[in-house]
Amino acid sequence: MNCKKMMTSLTAAALCVSLAACGSTGAASGAAASSESTAAESAATSEAAPAESAAETTGSGKVTVYMPSPAGLADKLAEGFTAKTGIEVEQFQGTTGEILARLEAEQANPVADVVILASWSDGLSMKADGQLESYTPTNADKIVDGWIDADNELFGYSASAVGVIYNTTVFPTMDADWSELGNAEYKDQLAIPDPEKSGACKDFVAGYVTNNGWTDFEAMAANGMKVPGANKAALEAVTTGEVGALVAGVDYNAYSSKAKGEPIDIYYPAGGTVVNPRPAMILKTAPNMDNAKAFVDYLFSDEAQELVAKAYLLPGRSDVKCDSRSNLEDIPQIKPDWEKMMAEASEDSAKVNELCSANNG
Amino acid sequence: MKKMIRPRRELLLAVLALLLVFLIVCPVVSIFAKAVIYDGRLDLYRTWQTLSQSENAQMIANSLLLGVLVVLLSTVIAAPLAYLFSRTKFAKYRVFDIIFMIPFMTPPYIASMGWILFMQKKGLLQQLIPAAAGSENVFFTLGGLVMVMSLHVFPFMLTILKNAMLNIPSSLEEAGAVFGAGFGARLRKVFLPLLSGNYAIGALLVFVKTLSEYGTPATLGKRIGFEVFTTEIHRHATVAPIDFGGSAALSSVLVGICLCMWFLQNYITTRKSYNLVSGKGSRRVEQKLSHSATAAAWGYIVLVLAVAVGIPYFSVISTSLINLRGYGLTPGNFTLAHYAELFTENTKGISALKNSIFLAVTSATICAVLGTLLVLAVRGSRSRLRKVVEAIGLLPEMLPGIVLVIGIMLFWNQIYHVLPLYNTMGIMVLAYVVLFLPYTVQYVTSSFTQISDSLIAAGRVFGGKPLYILRHITLPLISPGIATGWMMTFIIAFRELVTASLIAPPNTLVVSTYIMREFEQGSVSVGMAMAVLCVLFTTTALLALNAAIDRSSKRE
Repeated sequence: MNCKKMMTSLTAAALCVSLAACGSTGAASGAAASSESTAAESAATSEAAPAESAAETTGSGKVTVYMPSPAGLADKLAEGFTAKTGIEVEQFQGTTGEILARLEAEQANPVADVVILASWSDGLSMKADGQLESYTPTNADKIVDGWIDADNELFGYSASAVGVIYNTTVFPTMDADWSELGNAEYKDQLAIPDPEKSGACKDFVAGYVTNNGWTDFEAMAANGMKVPGANKAALEAVTTGEVGALVAGVDYNAYSSKAKGEPIDIYYPAGGTVVNPRPAMILKTAPNMDNAKAFVDYLFSDEAQELVAKAYLLPGRSDVKCDSRSNLEDIPQIKPDWEKMMAEASEDSAKVNELCSANNG
Repeated sequence: MKKMIRPRRELLLAVLALLLVFLIVCPVVSIFAKAVIYDGRLDLYRTWQTLSQSENAQMIANSLLLGVLVVLLSTVIAAPLAYLFSRTKFAKYRVFDIIFMIPFMTPPYIASMGWILFMQKKGLLQQLIPAAAGSENVFFTLGGLVMVMSLHVFPFMLTILKNAMLNIPSSLEEAGAVFGAGFGARLRKVFLPLLSGNYAIGALLVFVKTLSEYGTPATLGKRIGFEVFTTEIHRHATVAPIDFGGSAALSSVLVGICLCMWFLQNYITTRKSYNLVSGKGSRRVEQKLSHSATAAAWGYIVLVLAVAVGIPYFSVISTSLINLRGYGLTPGNFTLAHYAELFTENTKGISALKNSIFLAVTSATICAVLGTLLVLAVRGSRSRLRKVVEAIGLLPEMLPGIVLVIGIMLFWNQIYHVLPLYNTMGIMVLAYVVLFLPYTVQYVTSSFTQISDSLIAAGRVFGGKPLYILRHITLPLISPGIATGWMMTFIIAFRELVTASLIAPPNTLVVSTYIMREFEQGSVSVGMAMAVLCVLFTTTALLALNAAIDRSSKRE
C-alpha cells in the first residue's frame, strides 16, 4: 500500500517536472530561438571552413530549398544546380500552405536556405515579417521590370498568369472578355478555383475588383459559376468536361495538359489579367547562406531559365523567350498594385466564395 | 506474491507515463502554448476571440451532425456484416476480413475523388448511362458526404463488432431459446446487451475519426459548401498569415467534445462489460441459414462491396488507364503508359513505395508493442494515474492530425541540439507512432473487456508467475486485438498524407505525397496508377500475412 502511494507521487512529480520542462521550451521560444540560431550559425560557419578548401563551392556542401509545384521543374532545377556546382540540393516540395507551415514550425532552429513560393503577395508578406536577406543576383539587370523588389529581397525567377481555360469539346473556340462571361451561352458552364486556396486566383480577383468593381463577378456567379476546389480540382472539372470553362485558371498546367493532347485551350481575356511572379527568397536565417546565394544566381542562369520556359512558366529574364506558350508581351495585363491588393485580397476571396456558394452542389 | 506484482506493474505504468508525456504531451503543450501566449505573455483574450467567432458555432454544429450521421450509417452497414462473419457459415471465408478493409486502405481524398469523378456532371456514370443525368444533384449533398465518409470508416465498426460477436458463446443464446425467446427477443435481450460495451468503443472510434477527418470534407465537403471544424483548423495552420495558436485553440474544442464522448463510452463500457471469455468451455454454433437467407446474405455482401469498393475503384482504375482524360471512356483512349511512368520516369516512385513500406511496418510494430504494454499497465494498475495515462494514449486521436504534427515539429525542432531527430526518417516513425497509437489501445482494450478475471486467478492458483500468466493466458487471448491493431496501423500509416506532407525530411517522398505531387502538376492519371498499385500491394501483403498466421496457428 505504502509502496503504491510512493509510486504514484513519484510519477506525479516526474510528470510535473517534464511538463514544466517542455512548457518552458514552448513558451520561451522567442528568446531561446534567437540565441540558438546564432549558435547554429556559428556552428555552420566553423563547419564550412574545411569544406571551402576541399571544393570550389562554399558552405557545408548543401542547400535546402522549399519549392512549390510543378515537381518536375523543381527536380530539374535541383539536378542542374548540383551538376553545375557540386552542392547537394535538399528539397522539400509542398503547397504554399505546407511550406509556410513548415517554416513557421522550424522557427526555433531554421532549416531552409531558399524558399520559393507560387505567388508574389505571399512573398511580400514574408518580406513584411522581416525574414528575408537582401542580395543582388547575377543577371539582375536582365530580370523583367518589377519582378525584383526595390530592396532586392524577392527574385521573380518565373511567373504564371491566370486566364480562361476552356474545354474544346464544349466550346470549340472562345475569346469572351471577363465581362462577357455572364452571358447566357456560358450558363452553368463556369468554374473558378477557390481563391482562398489558390494564391494566383486570389491575387487576380483582388487586382480585378480594385479596377473594375464587382459587377462582372456577380454576373458570373449568377450564371452558375462553381468553386470545385483549389487549382488542381478546378482544372479537373474543366478537363473532364464537367464545366466548359475555368475562370482565372493558372496557365502553366493548362499548357502542359494541352501539350499532352487533352481537349483544352487557354486564352487571356482582353480586359487584362494579373501576371504573378513566383518569388525565390533567401532567408535571413539560412544555415548555408553562400550556397543559397549561389542557388539564386543559378535560377537566373540561361540553363535554369530554359527549364522554366520548358515547364510552361514565364521566364524571369526578359531576354529569354518561350515558344510553347504566350510570351509576356502578348498577355494583356492589369497593372497590379500589390500593396492595395494584399490589403483586400482575403476579403475579396471570401466574397467570391460567398457569391458562388449557392451554385455548389 | 501479490505484493511483488503490484509495484512492478506500477513501475511499468510510471515509465510509460513518462514516455507518453515526452512523446505526446510535450508536443501538444508546444502548440497549445502558441494559443495562449503572444509576445511572451499569457493572453487568453485573443484565444477567446478566436473561439468566440460566430461562424465557429455553425462549423461545430456541422461537425457534430456529420459525426452522428456517420456513426448511424456505418452501424447500419457494419452490423449485418459483423453478424454474418461471426455467427454464420460466412465466418470461414477469412478473405473477407481483408477485402472489407479495402475501403479503409483507400486514402480518403482518393476515395472522394473517385466518387466525384463517378458522380459529377458528365462523369463516368453519366458516360456509361446517359439517362443518369441529373443524379449529380442527389449526390452532391450532405447525404452524399455522409455516405462517402461512412463507407470509409465502417470497417472500424465491423472489426470491433465482429470480434465481440465471436466471443459470445452460443450457450447464452440457446439458454434464451430454451426459455422460449424468439429470434427477436434473443437479439434484444441477450445479444445486443452483451455487445453494447464494445459497440460504444466502435461508435466512439467512428465518431472521433469523422470529427478529425480532413481528406473527405476538404474535397467533397468543400464542393457542397459543408464547412466542418477540421477544415477551419487546417486553414489557420496553412493559410498566410499562419496562426498555429488559432488552430490549437479551435482544436481544443474538438478535444473537449471527444473527451466527453470518451467518458460516456467508458461509462457505458464499464457498466455493460460482460466477462464472456472465462474458463468455461465456450463454443459457437453456426446459425443455420436457409437458402433464401444465404442468397440474401450474398446479395448484401456484394452490394456493400460494389458500393464501398467497386464505385471508387472503378473511377480510380479507369482514370489510371485513360490516356486523355478529356475524352473519357471511349474505345482506343486507354493506355498502360501511366503505370510504366511510375517505374521508368525516375526512381521517385519506387523510393516512395519503399519509404511507405518501411514506415508502415516499423510504426505498426512499435505501436503494437507500446500500445499493448500500455493497456496491460493500465489494466494491472489501481493507481489514479491509470485513467490519465489512458487518456493521454487516446489523445492523438482526438486532435486533428495536423495540430499534433505541428506540435511534434515545434517540439523536436526546438530540442534539435539535444536530440537531433528532426528532419530524419526517425521523426516520421515517431510521428506515426504517436498518431496511430490509439488504434492499438482501442483494439486491445476492446478484446480485454471480455476476458474474465477468473482466468488470471486460475493461472495464479496453479502457481503461474506473472510473466508465465502473461505469456500463456493474457497474450493469447488478446492477440486478435493486437493483430487487428497492427493491421489497422499498417494500413493507415501506409497511406497517411497530412503528416507526411509536413514532416517528411527533404528529398523524401512517401506514396501519398508522391500521389499529391503528381496531382498538383496535373498528372492525375499517374497519381491514380500509384494509388491502384498501393492498394494492390496492401491487400496482397495482408492476405499473405493472414494466411501465414493461419498456417502457423494450425501447426500449433
